[in-house]
Amino acid sequence: MTDIQYDLWQPVIGLEVHVQLNTKSKLFSCAPNRFGDEPNTNITDVCTGQPGTLPVLNKEAVRKAVQFGLAIKADVAHFSKFDRKSYFYPDSPRNFQITQFDQPIILGGMIVAEVGGQMKTFPVNRAHLEDDAGMLKHFSTFAGVDYNRAGVPLLEVVSEPCMHTPKEAVAYAMALKAIMEYLDASDCNMEEGSLRFDANISVRLKSEKTLRNKIEIKNMNSFSNMEMALESEIRRQIRLYTQNPHEDINNIIHKGTYRFDPEKKETVLMRQKEDAEDYRYFPEPDLVPIVLTSAYIEEIRKDLPELPHDRFKRYTEELSLPASAAATLINDRQMCLYFERALKTCSNAKNLCNWLVVEFTGRIKESGKTLDQVGIKAEHVGNLVNMIDQGTITGKIAKSVADDMVANPGKDCKDIVKENPDYQPLQDTSSIEALIDQVLSENAQSIADYKAGKTKAFAYLIGQVMKLCKGAASPAMVNEILTKKLQ
Amino acid sequence: MYKLSATELKELFSKGEISAKEIAQNTLKRIEKFDPEVGAFLHVHKDRMLQKAESLDKKKQSGEKLGSLAGVPIAIKDNIHINGTITTCGSKFLSNYKAVFDSTVCRLLEEEDALLIGKTNLDEFAMGSSTENSAYQKTRNPWDLACTPGGSSGGSSAAVAARFCPISFGSDTGGSIRQPASFTGIVGFKPTYGRVSRYGLVAFASSLDQIGPFSTTVTDTALVMQVISKGCDRDSTSIHAKTPDYLAALSPSLKDFTIGVPWHFLEQLNEDAKQNFLASVEVYKQLGAKIVDVDLDILSHSIAVYYVLATAEASTNLARFDGVRYGVRSPKATNLEELYDLSRQDGFGAEVKNRILLGTYVLSSGFKDAYYKKAQQVRALMIQKFKDAFLKCNLVMLPTAPFPAFKLGAIQDPLQMYLQDVYTIAANLVGAPAISIPSGFSSNNMPLGLQLIGPQMHDKEVLSAAYAYEQATGYGKKIPAHFDKEAL
Repeated sequence: MTDIQYDLWQPVIGLEVHVQLNTKSKLFSCAPNRFGDEPNTNITDVCTGQPGTLPVLNKEAVRKAVQFGLAIKADVAHFSKFDRKSYFYPDSPRNFQITQFDQPIILGGMIVAEVGGQMKTFPVNRAHLEDDAGMLKHFSTFAGVDYNRAGVPLLEVVSEPCMHTPKEAVAYAMALKAIMEYLDASDCNMEEGSLRFDANISVRLKSEKTLRNKIEIKNMNSFSNMEMALESEIRRQIRLYTQNPHEDINNIIHKGTYRFDPEKKETVLMRQKEDAEDYRYFPEPDLVPIVLTSAYIEEIRKDLPELPHDRFKRYTEELSLPASAAATLINDRQMCLYFERALKTCSNAKNLCNWLVVEFTGRIKESGKTLDQVGIKAEHVGNLVNMIDQGTITGKIAKSVADDMVANPGKDCKDIVKENPDYQPLQDTSSIEALIDQVLSENAQSIADYKAGKTKAFAYLIGQVMKLCKGAASPAMVNEILTKKLQ
Repeated sequence: MYKLSATELKELFSKGEISAKEIAQNTLKRIEKFDPEVGAFLHVHKDRMLQKAESLDKKKQSGEKLGSLAGVPIAIKDNIHINGTITTCGSKFLSNYKAVFDSTVCRLLEEEDALLIGKTNLDEFAMGSSTENSAYQKTRNPWDLACTPGGSSGGSSAAVAARFCPISFGSDTGGSIRQPASFTGIVGFKPTYGRVSRYGLVAFASSLDQIGPFSTTVTDTALVMQVISKGCDRDSTSIHAKTPDYLAALSPSLKDFTIGVPWHFLEQLNEDAKQNFLASVEVYKQLGAKIVDVDLDILSHSIAVYYVLATAEASTNLARFDGVRYGVRSPKATNLEELYDLSRQDGFGAEVKNRILLGTYVLSSGFKDAYYKKAQQVRALMIQKFKDAFLKCNLVMLPTAPFPAFKLGAIQDPLQMYLQDVYTIAANLVGAPAISIPSGFSSNNMPLGLQLIGPQMHDKEVLSAAYAYEQATGYGKKIPAHFDKEAL
C-alpha cells in the first residue's frame, strides 16, 4: 500500500451557484414564482412552451442581478444578451434554455469571506441570468413533469477556480448566500432548491502551475454536505494519482459529473463526459438585448442596503464585536436583523451579541425556529442586557429570566423580574453583610489562607456568599464589603 | 358581393344594405362551392363565424359604435392562433393542436369587428414557396388550377385571388406573403419587422417572421395595417410607436420621390419578367418619380445567408415539438429517446426535416463560425448596404419573383425552389417593409408582381407608392375568369 502524502497536493475548487431570484413572477412570463404548490398550477402558456408564445423579460430579475453585481463590486454590463442553449429533456418546455452565453450581465467582482478568523477575497468570473427547468417526477408506471419551476429566474454565479480547501469553498458559499439575503434577492432555501451549488474540482502537486483534469459535483444541498463531498473527492483524486504514479495523468481522473452520497460519504459518478456536449448556443432572437444606462445602474447602487462585508467592518470596528461573533451574526440574516432591532434599546453590543448568539440561540435551538418566530421581542432581550449592566439583576439571575422569557414569549423581562421575588437583587448592605459574616464564621481556614497571600481564597469566599444568596447579590457589592471586612 | 373590397363591403354593412349574417353566409357559400377546386382552406369555422356575425348584427342594431373592419370576412393562415380552434401549421404533428390563446393580430381584428372565416393552407411550418409542403392538401392557383398559388401562404393568397374574402393574413419569413401575392395577382404586404406583433404566430425563424395582409387593393391593406400596427407587451421585438395614419398617406402623386433600382443585380432576369419590370419603371417615371441606380450586389448572397440563419432559428424553434406536452405522440415509442425520435420522424415532413438538419448543422461546434457567424456578418453588411441605398432613394424597386406561378410538381429540387425567394429575402434580413403589387401578366397570362422595399418604419411610404402605381395601372382589378361569378 502506497503511503499517501495528502499535504503535497493542492486542491483547486471553483463553484457554480444557481440562485433562484425571489421575483413575484417568472423570468419570461407572468406566472407566479412560488415553491410548493400543486404541480402545474403556476404556469402560463409560455412555461409549457406552447407554440406561438414568446418570452418577455422580467425587469425585477434584471434589477436583482444588477444589485448583486454592484454588491460584489463587479462590472455591470451596459449591453448583455440572451442565448439559446439547446438540449432535449422533458423538463425543458422548449427543449432549449434561455441563458446568457458570451455576454453575461455581470462580469468579474469578488466575494469576501471569513475563513478561520481571516478575511479572504475570492474572485468571481461572471454571473448571468437564465431560466430554471421544470421537474420530473417518477411514479411506479410513468413519469410526469411539473412545470411550476420552469421559467423561475436564476442567477448563475460562477467563481474563478480560486478556492483551495473545502472550508474556503463553504465560506465563499455562505458569504454569497448572505449577500443574496441582505439584498433580498433570493430566499436562499437550500432544501427547496432556491440555492444550489455545483463544484468543479481538481488537485495538483503544489509545485505544479497548470491544472489537471477536473470533475463536477452537482447539487450539494447543504454546507456540511458540501464540505464532506469536497473532502472525500479531494482524497479520492490524490489517492488515485498517488496509486498510479506511472500512468499518464490525463488517464487517471476523467472528466465527469458526480453527486455526493451523504450515507456513504463519498462522491458517486453520474455520467462520464466523453466530449463536451454541443449546446449550439446562438443569440435568442425573440428577446432584445439588455441595455442598461449608467443612470439606471447608479440609482440601484444608491439604494443598495448595507452589505455583509460592510456590516462586518462596522461590527468589528465600531461595535468592537469579536470577528467570529460578528461573522456568526451576519451569516444569519434573520438573527442579524433581530440584533439590529435590539441595539435600539441596548447599547452594550458585545454583551447583546453574546446573549443572542449563545444564550438565546442555545435555548431555542431545539424548536428550529428563529427568535421572531418564537415570539421573543428584540427590545426585551435588549432590556435584559441593560438590567445586567445596571446591576438590577445579576448575570446568574438573568439566565433564569431568559429561561422564563423563552417559556413565556412576548413577556417583558422587566415584568418577569418584578413579579418573581427570587429575582429581586439584594441591594441593602446590611443583609449582604449578614451573609458575609455567616460565610466568614464558617471558613476560618480560608481567611487564614487569604491573609497568607493566597488570592484564590478570596474568590472562594465570594463564591460561597453568592451561593448562599442564590446569586441575588451584586458581585461588585459582595466584593467591596468582603474586602473591607477582611482588612 | 365577391367583387367588393373590404372598404366597400364595410361601407355597405355600415349603411345597413347588407347584414353581417348575409356576408357570412355568402362567404361560406362561396367557399363551399369553389374551394374544393382551390383547396385554400384547411378549416372553415362556420359556426363560429355565423355566431360572430349574429352578435355583430345585434351590436349594430343597438347603435353601438362599429369597429373599423365591421363585417369584413378575413381568412387566417393556419400558423396564427385563433383561441380554441385547431392550428396545424400544415403539419401532421399538430393535427390535434387546439390553440390556447388568441394571437394579438386576430384579437385586434376581432376587436374591430372583423369576421374570421377559418384557417388557410400553407407549407408545413411555413417552409416552402409553393404550399406543396402542406401535410394536408394541395392548393391551386385560381388563375390556373394546374399551378401553385405560391407559398408558403398559398392558402391565403388563393382565398383572396378567388375572391372568397377581400382580406387574408399570412406570415412572411423570406417572401411567403409577397411571392404568393405576385403569383395570384393581388396585393401582399410584409410590414417592418416588429410593426406587427408575432404573439400567436407559430415561429419559423423568429428574427425574420412577420405577419402581414393580402388584399385586392392597397387601400384595404392600409385599412388593416391601421388595425394591426400596434405595440404588443407579449412580444419583446414589437415596436411601441404611434400607429401612423396609413389611409391618409395614400396619394396618387409621387412628386419629389426617388426610386432606386439595382440594375446590375437584375441583369439575369428572364425576358418576360424584364419587360414587365421595365414597364413598371416607366409607370413610375410617368407618375413623376425619379429613378436612380443603386448598388445592391450584396443581394446575390441573400439566399445563402437566409438558409443559414432561418434554418438555425427554425431548428430550435421546432425543438419544442417533441410529443411530450402536445401534438401527436408516436404510439410506437417505448422510452423517452424513442418518444422524441419517432414522434418527430412521423410528425414532420421531408422539407421540415431538411431544414432542422441544416439548422442544427450550421450551429454545431466547429461549423458555427463558418456558417452561422459568417451569415450574421453578411446580414449586418446587407443592412448597411440598404442604408446606403436609402440615402439615394425613398424606396427600392425589384420584381417580386423571377417567374410567374409554375405548375404544381414542376420544381422537385429544393435548391431550385429556394431560388424563388431571391428578390424577397433581403427585406426580411434587413427588417424592411416590402409590398408586392400586381404589375400585369406574363405571356401565358399569369399574374406578375412588382416589389417595393422601404427603409424600416417607412411602411407608410411603401403603401403610398404602391397606391399611386395601382391607381395608374389597375392590374389588381382583374379577377380570374373561372371565379368571376356568383356562387349559386
